[in-house]
Amino acid sequence: MWVLWKQLLIYQKEQTNQSGGIRIQAKLDQIDIAIIRALQKDARASFVAIAKSCHVSVDTISKRFKKLKNTGVARGTTVLLNPKSFGCDCVASFGIRSDFSHIQEVLEFLRKIPDIVFSTQTMGRHSIIAIAIVKNVAKLNQVREVIKGHSMVREIITSIWVSDILLCPSNFDLQTIAGDV
Amino acid sequence: MDKIDLCIIEALTNDARTPFRQIAASLNVSPDTIIDRYNALQEKGIVRGSTIVLNPKEIGYNAMAVFMIDISPTEDGKTQFDSFAILETIIKMKNIIVASKTVGDHDLMAIGVVRDFQHLVVVRDDIAAIPGVKDMEVSFWSEITELSPKYFVI
Repeated sequence: MWVLWKQLLIYQKEQTNQSGGIRIQAKLDQIDIAIIRALQKDARASFVAIAKSCHVSVDTISKRFKKLKNTGVARGTTVLLNPKSFGCDCVASFGIRSDFSHIQEVLEFLRKIPDIVFSTQTMGRHSIIAIAIVKNVAKLNQVREVIKGHSMVREIITSIWVSDILLCPSNFDLQTIAGDV
Repeated sequence: MDKIDLCIIEALTNDARTPFRQIAASLNVSPDTIIDRYNALQEKGIVRGSTIVLNPKEIGYNAMAVFMIDISPTEDGKTQFDSFAILETIIKMKNIIVASKTVGDHDLMAIGVVRDFQHLVVVRDDIAAIPGVKDMEVSFWSEITELSPKYFVI
């Protein structure tokens, strides 16, 4: 499961390299937004229902959905899994400070640790932010010790996520983009 | 969970719109079995739902930011601030994609998508304006803006 995420990560890197940093922003209209909103709630939502609510044909919806995928606006669809059902009880984030010249080295080191599902270089308080999903706190501590053991890591701050994590994909403000059309 | 459940999860993780008939055919069971199993997975909370995975960069969000928030322990020395209420307010804000209470250096943590630096300041100020928010640390990045919510849902 986590492997897939890493694949996506690599995929994104390739995409960024190909476009040479210049990105042409996709433009969305109200039909695109209606499709995204419906699929955010339930990725298996029937195209017939979406078509009805937009007063267009089912063909239009499936064509638009394909276009959203082809233009890269949508990566695809997925199910939201509960890590606890797979024995992962502990989610935590690490804020890491390291020597400027060695940030890339530390990042590469982090990406080799299987429990780290996300890591990126950041600007601001920390040099690197990483998120780990592990079985329990003892395992989390092991991961922390491993990171701390890297000679270029100067400081590491751990935050364990305790509440039911609230996720709101529908918070994406799409209307502002539609306004540009 | 058995082999059938895992096959369903694997297929739907890659594409949540995979027809149940197709999954059923690959496992040599009836489509009804797959539907029942999928419903059971949802009822048990193993599958929290399904969603479309967007690429924020393609729709104008060029950076992500993490907000690590400290909450003042008390209001005028008497009543305690309800960190759950603050969390609720934050999660309802536009452009925040995930938020949680945390144990450690900070009380709350939120991750959001932002269009540019100006927008980051706006989001930061919006969070700072919530009563009870004492202090905040912001880190932001533009390298990866992968929105794969399944890894954040607990």
